[in-house]
Amino acid sequence: MEAWQARRKRLEDEMQAHIDLETQENIEAGMAPLEARQAAMKKFGSVSLASDQSREAWGWLWPERLWQDARFALRTFGKNAGFTAVALLSLMLGIGASIALFSVVYGVLIAPYPYARPNQIWAPAVLGPKDAVRGWHWYSQREMAEVEKLPAFAEVMATSVRPVLLTSDINPENFYGVFLTGGAFNFLEVKPLIGRTIQPYDIGPGGEPAPVVVLSYGFWQRFFNGDLHVINRSITLDDVPRTIVGVMPPRFGWWTNEAFWLPLPMDPKDPSGLAVIVRLAPGVTQHTAEQQLNQLNIQFAAERPQDYPKGQLRTILLNYMDITVASGDMSASLHLLLAAVGLLLLIACVNVANLQLARTTGRAREIAMRIAIGAGRGRLVRQLLTESVLLSVVGGALGVLFAIGATQLIVALIPPDYVPNEARITVNGYVLLFSLVVSMLTGILFGLAPALRSSRPDLVGTLKDGGGAIGSLRGHAVRSWLVVAEISLSVILLAGASLAVRGFVQMLHVDPGFQPERVLHIDFTLAPKRYPTWQQRNALDRTLLESVMNLPGVQAASLGNAGLPYIGWRSSFSIPGQPPMDGRQVAIALISRQYPQTLGIPLKRGREFTEMEIESAMRVALINESAARLWPAGQDPVGRTMQIDDLAQAPDNPQVLAAPGVAAGVTVVGVIGDTRNAGIVEPPAPAVYLPYTLYAPPGRELAVRTAGHPLAIVNAVRLKARDLDKDLAVGKPNTLEESLGQETQQPRFNMALFSSFAALGMALAAIGIYSVISYNVSQRVQEIGVRMALGAKRGDILKLILLMVARVVFLGLAVGLLGSILIERLVRFQMFTKTSFGVIPLATIVVVLAGVSLLAAWLPTARAGNLDPITALRHEA
Amino acid sequence: MTTGELDSQLELLQGTLDLLILQTLAFGPAHGHAIARIIQQRSDEVLQVGHGSLYPALQRLLRRGLIVAEDGLSENNRKARFYRLTAKGRKRLSAETSKWERFSSAIARLLSPLPDQNS
Repeated sequence: MEAWQARRKRLEDEMQAHIDLETQENIEAGMAPLEARQAAMKKFGSVSLASDQSREAWGWLWPERLWQDARFALRTFGKNAGFTAVALLSLMLGIGASIALFSVVYGVLIAPYPYARPNQIWAPAVLGPKDAVRGWHWYSQREMAEVEKLPAFAEVMATSVRPVLLTSDINPENFYGVFLTGGAFNFLEVKPLIGRTIQPYDIGPGGEPAPVVVLSYGFWQRFFNGDLHVINRSITLDDVPRTIVGVMPPRFGWWTNEAFWLPLPMDPKDPSGLAVIVRLAPGVTQHTAEQQLNQLNIQFAAERPQDYPKGQLRTILLNYMDITVASGDMSASLHLLLAAVGLLLLIACVNVANLQLARTTGRAREIAMRIAIGAGRGRLVRQLLTESVLLSVVGGALGVLFAIGATQLIVALIPPDYVPNEARITVNGYVLLFSLVVSMLTGILFGLAPALRSSRPDLVGTLKDGGGAIGSLRGHAVRSWLVVAEISLSVILLAGASLAVRGFVQMLHVDPGFQPERVLHIDFTLAPKRYPTWQQRNALDRTLLESVMNLPGVQAASLGNAGLPYIGWRSSFSIPGQPPMDGRQVAIALISRQYPQTLGIPLKRGREFTEMEIESAMRVALINESAARLWPAGQDPVGRTMQIDDLAQAPDNPQVLAAPGVAAGVTVVGVIGDTRNAGIVEPPAPAVYLPYTLYAPPGRELAVRTAGHPLAIVNAVRLKARDLDKDLAVGKPNTLEESLGQETQQPRFNMALFSSFAALGMALAAIGIYSVISYNVSQRVQEIGVRMALGAKRGDILKLILLMVARVVFLGLAVGLLGSILIERLVRFQMFTKTSFGVIPLATIVVVLAGVSLLAAWLPTARAGNLDPITALRHEA
Repeated sequence: MTTGELDSQLELLQGTLDLLILQTLAFGPAHGHAIARIIQQRSDEVLQVGHGSLYPALQRLLRRGLIVAEDGLSENNRKARFYRLTAKGRKRLSAETSKWERFSSAIARLLSPLPDQNS
């Protein structure tokens, strides 16, 4: 830069010397000094032009030109503050919303995991002939050892989650500990924050695990306040003191982000399920690996038929990027929202294009003038392009600021269980790059077309004519189409939003079949080794339940497993005298006597359980109305029996103890109302409720209906539990209302985002429509003057312009409605609880958009109608 | 007039001016003012080139390596930039001159029947 300045200075000195010499010669020729100088300067011509052209010869003029263009653009923007504000606002909102959502998509769908090469991690799924892909397959330890030997796999790791009781000086608490094979951390390749991870040598030759534990960041913060000297200290888990060897960083949440990881005890006889994931050996295709594993699975199925699908087996390797939480509802939502934000960006771009087009048409005279005095076409296009790129870069920068705020808002809205533990959502480098590209492309694309068009005007016509109606006819048609596009895009956006809102409102109005208010839900776990028998466990459970029922403020309490309010356990069944129920299952919950009162479920027929039936673990059942319909119409199930197949088998989990003499046959004693036991949007599943005493697992769930706020009683419950057994682990309390609330989080998220995008879209469309129409009207002022001079009335003018606008608006609405119906067919919006468009929301959209557009047209038109014909005639746009 | 026409005319002008400068320098180094004066005298003041347009042309020639610039003293003992033809410039001059001569003789032949050609 300095060299350039020096060079420029030298050139100017040289030219000055030239003029001096010429002056001197003129003086020598007899001129007066002043005259001599003037003559010399006249002969030389423009110094600055010569300097400019010289520098152009150096080839270094372009940064100077760019600066010039930019300064000129800024001046122009300053003069058209309204235009600039609208364009910047459009770009800011459009680009900002896309960056924000793209950040979320990046964090949740593109790079959700901290693991090395997550796209090369595969999880096996075993399917029967007709099964659709669901989750992955659970292998036993012996099976996993075989899987490990397959040549197709380079690395294999297994995960198992079990409840682990934390005792010692801290309050006992139940955690879901994650047990991993020795090589697991090396498989995932995530470095610990401090200390080390679990290594293969932590599992001895006989499969016995070393007493070590690796803490999650959350656990470390909660119990050790982030103390760096935590390594080699110990915590007691399931009565075994374990040495802390490492702490993982916050962004590592393999199956937990609040507990810990432990080495998995290797025991070939352990039948409990392991989640196995693999990496393929180099050069092995997915297909080869699937074939090899399928051979093995067929063998396993022969040995363990009850855990494998019937019929011919298929094995599929699922890529880790395609499974886990991010693949479910959240992924569908994000894809749809991405489409929505794409629409929003399109509207913003259309807005800017529209404005640019209107403005360059309005500037036709200026441009013609510039060409007439010698501006080159390339130079002119460059000038116009500089303006639009500058506009979009500034808009993009504002958009980034907007995006930072919006991203934080979206993160606050995201339901916690719908994204992977480890997803980190921030405005990151890639996203910034994306926004830069989007904003530049927007600028170039929508700046270029009007720039090219306006650089080729009919000079003579434009200069003569006051920029009037004839010259801008073509531009006007293009702009009308852009307005049509804008309106139809916002209709589609609004229609999508109305679907989201309807889905959400519908969900809020679902009757769950019980009264969730004032019900506390808390679970607790006893130490299995200290209560080795069924009798001991049930005695403890009964004492706990009785002491909770006697607490002041407790209206009813129930203890058991599942049914609060959802039921996961499904069993096949049969009804004597009925044809076999092929493949149908009933949901099974274990309850105590006061279950219906605690949840507020009405008894429809028959009676409830008696205390005696519960205490002696009799095979009696309450069923819900859906289950009652399994019997033929008119037949009362009360007093009849049914066979629950699962009761005839020993429990899968060796820690669950069954009552002596449990068998499949149960007698129905009563029918209670249906509840939404399979999720708030799913229809109620047929359910069978059994006395909780039939089984004695270590963990139980407790539901308490209170007179006051349900959480107020938590401490009293905790104290009762501690009085009974200080090692009784009490889980995290929540209320049934909270559990139901979680179900509505996802639709709430969709609704909030969709509605805000739609609101933004509508605001942008309104701004765009307003500015374009008012611009058009101001361009036609002369025409209006002529018409009024020839006798047109004010009303005629208004009618003329409103009709023109109405045609555009209604075309836009029609295209938009058609588009949304097509898109609704296409996407089927599964996540919105099978909602379809209602007439009322669509009508509302039409009315609102038409209203906004016509209002946008009304104001400038009314102004035009008020014009004095003489002023209008003289007016030159 | 379109910009295209304007450009081609400028090009002709530039080419001519470049050639004139090269030819001027064929007799020895000269500074800007001297070059302007020589061109003016030699073309019998027919070519009314603004002295200013000399400088962009000089920069162009410098950049193409046809001439070099060196500091020296002018006749009135003032510091001045002297321009000198390079070997490349000399070669270019002879090539351009023969091309120009062919062109001008062709023009001359075309125009010769006109009686007032010498006026």
